[in-house]
Amino acid sequence: MKIEKLIEKIEGEASLDFSFEAGVVSDVRIRFGLYRGIEQILEKKAPRDALVITPRVCGICNHAHLMAAVKAIESGYRASGIDVTLSPKADAIREFTLACELIQNHVKWLYMTVIPHFESLTGKRSQENHALKASYISTTITKALAIFAGQWPHSSYAVPGGVTCDPTYVDVMQATALVEEAIRFFEQMMVGMPLEAYLGIDSVSQLHSIQGDVGRLMQRLGEAGMAEKGHSHDRFIVFGEGMGFVSGKATATTVSSVDVRYVEESNQEDSTAKAVSYKQKQFETGPLARAIIAKNPLIKSLHKRYKDSLLTRVFARTHEVGLLLHRAKEALVHLDVTQPSCMLESKLLSTDFEGVGTVEAARGSLIHRSVVKSGRIAHYDIIVPTQWNLSHGNASEKGVAVRAMIGSASIEEASFIFRSFDVCSVCTMQ
Amino acid sequence: MGIDKHDSVKSLFTAQSAKVNTNRGDAYYEKLYAQCRARLDELKALAPLNNRMDFKESIEEEGLDRRDFMKWASATTAMLMLPASFTPLVAEAAVLMNRVPVIWIELQDCAGNTEALIRSDGPKIDEIILDIISLEFNETLMAAAGHQAEKQLEDAVEHFKGKYLLFVEGSVPMGMDGYYGTIGANGETFIDHLTRLAKDAAAVVAVGSCATFGGIPAAAPNPTDAKGVMDVVKGKPIINIPACPANPSNMVGVILHYVLTGGIPELDSLLRPKFAFGYRIHDNCERRAHFDAGEFVEEWGDEGAKNNFCLYKVGCKGPMTFNNCSIVRYNEGVNWPVGVGRGCIGCSEPDFWDKYAYERPMANANIKAPTGGVEKSVDEFGLGLLTAAGVGIAIHAAASAVAGKKSEEN
Repeated sequence: MKIEKLIEKIEGEASLDFSFEAGVVSDVRIRFGLYRGIEQILEKKAPRDALVITPRVCGICNHAHLMAAVKAIESGYRASGIDVTLSPKADAIREFTLACELIQNHVKWLYMTVIPHFESLTGKRSQENHALKASYISTTITKALAIFAGQWPHSSYAVPGGVTCDPTYVDVMQATALVEEAIRFFEQMMVGMPLEAYLGIDSVSQLHSIQGDVGRLMQRLGEAGMAEKGHSHDRFIVFGEGMGFVSGKATATTVSSVDVRYVEESNQEDSTAKAVSYKQKQFETGPLARAIIAKNPLIKSLHKRYKDSLLTRVFARTHEVGLLLHRAKEALVHLDVTQPSCMLESKLLSTDFEGVGTVEAARGSLIHRSVVKSGRIAHYDIIVPTQWNLSHGNASEKGVAVRAMIGSASIEEASFIFRSFDVCSVCTMQ
Repeated sequence: MGIDKHDSVKSLFTAQSAKVNTNRGDAYYEKLYAQCRARLDELKALAPLNNRMDFKESIEEEGLDRRDFMKWASATTAMLMLPASFTPLVAEAAVLMNRVPVIWIELQDCAGNTEALIRSDGPKIDEIILDIISLEFNETLMAAAGHQAEKQLEDAVEHFKGKYLLFVEGSVPMGMDGYYGTIGANGETFIDHLTRLAKDAAAVVAVGSCATFGGIPAAAPNPTDAKGVMDVVKGKPIINIPACPANPSNMVGVILHYVLTGGIPELDSLLRPKFAFGYRIHDNCERRAHFDAGEFVEEWGDEGAKNNFCLYKVGCKGPMTFNNCSIVRYNEGVNWPVGVGRGCIGCSEPDFWDKYAYERPMANANIKAPTGGVEKSVDEFGLGLLTAAGVGIAIHAAASAVAGKKSEEN
């Protein structure tokens, strides 16, 4: 058995130690070498400080952290008998801004991680400037986000009971124009067909009609045998709701409900990242999990044929861009700006509570737990999506990404599979 | 209000570091102009680094016309606090940004400043950033991985010895001998990595509040003993661009200034460029009129919020925060926190996370004014009295008196 080391530059850095047996990868140790101690910093602070501090865990999915933090407080208030009801407007604005964050992430991952990495894996480099494409659409969609949230990254515009912004129809029109611009990019560059027609595709047999960068990538992934690689446990979990996502877990073809109480975190040897499991089992989280549990016809059909292969996983994420663009536009159409923005008296505070906020971040389910005693945070727990996908696993089974990489013929191939999970190390090693 | 309170409020609103001299007389600007001219001619003679795209070609490819570009150039000239006559020089400097190598490293960070940078503003300025600035190394932006990336960094350092601008994102963990943060195959600690790369840099630019003052990682109890770059790097010119995230306009501004003059911009006592941090959020706030009129948001979603009233009483830290957000705004100028009724959290001030954190209204918090002095509760400070009607106007009166004096001087 030989061991080779690889340093991955993702959002931050991860170190991978590959073990080889009989010429293929037999095990992988994933290590993160950074620690900031955000959970520790939150202790003894005022509960609402989490709204300012937690987004700063991550420069890519900061908005998801804000949403999880505000939901944790709201759930804690509710548990201690305070009525927290959001107006449909506040709810829709929160979902809209979160959808924008997911879109910018997925597109950047496609153009700045997957395509360049796949090109170097296959040795077929194109002369196109993929980074520019990524920056064009992510700039556009985060502008739409900033109309409601003030800035991206690191906004704190969501507060218990709603949002602080009070948009006018002019703001909504501006945001709509930006979403439409992003849709045009999706249609022309990514899939080469109108969004409506694209969303009408519901079976793997029509997959070939997709053109553009996504169509080309799918074709080449297929040719490179990526529909037969990257298989893992084929078990999925989703905790967040909204934007068309539903919570639940899927094993084989059975979808059942989940309870956040069964989520367990544990320390891992020689890594600053904690492992996480559900009833001692490993689950994959992220766009593929969301599509399977929400029973998206096209992804279900693709999954039926190729299971949880790299190809299925990559396509599920690009497909989510189309779904979210559509939902983002719909959310603006139905937005009634005359409704209240925030419906909770700011003076109404609960001094002791335990709250849990779950949200679907770009990379999967994000969970915040806040325990407040005598008006101060006594304990704060942040469980990020990458922990689900990248943990080493336990005695009985390997972690999700580790299992997907086992059997790879080379480090390069394994590293490509690793990146198909859209890894974020800055979140993982808070 | 006692004398002491009066004086402390006055000193807060009239801090010397808050003064930025935007008119230094013709002789000064003529000399500077000549200096910039010579510098640009010198750069022009150099070949673009790393086969970067030619700026003129790339704006033409994008179908942008020169008018858009000049509009951006004149806005940037104003931002840098230079007279309008410098606009052609700034435009030229933008084109020459491909002559100055930039190395960008990430330490104890969240990659948020890189994210902000790639959605910088201007006429498709993302083109400028990604194609024109000679960004020799950036982990998040570059496709290279592993040993290949490390080699690229070593090559860049060697090749541009003494010439590159080192941009640092993230704080430096000093606890546990620096082992809270390591980088590369050999597990080099962040502090060693930074010291080594800073040694051969022309100047070090600390980007974001983590790199400048330690940021969120340095919040109490500062578990990793996180420090800002200026606390650990000695003997190099350091420019701090705090805020969380730092405003990309200010990052581009610093690079442009370096291209233009070959030097670093004028800095305040916290090493922040005065062109960006020479005035407070409050000075140019779009809601300022409501502060002056004593019209405040009392709680989220109330009538005041619907009417865009002043956010001071719900904890806005604009009056004590030096930054140009109220003018430059974020995300290509689309909006900024005060624009969505959230108020300023003071993210560009040292220790904002402990002293200014949003959900601790100023009236209850121990704060130290940016001007220094002893840490006091706001009641002792005098600002707590703002909750009493009419005191806002008293403060404003003090500020106006000073403003009047300032304009007489000019």
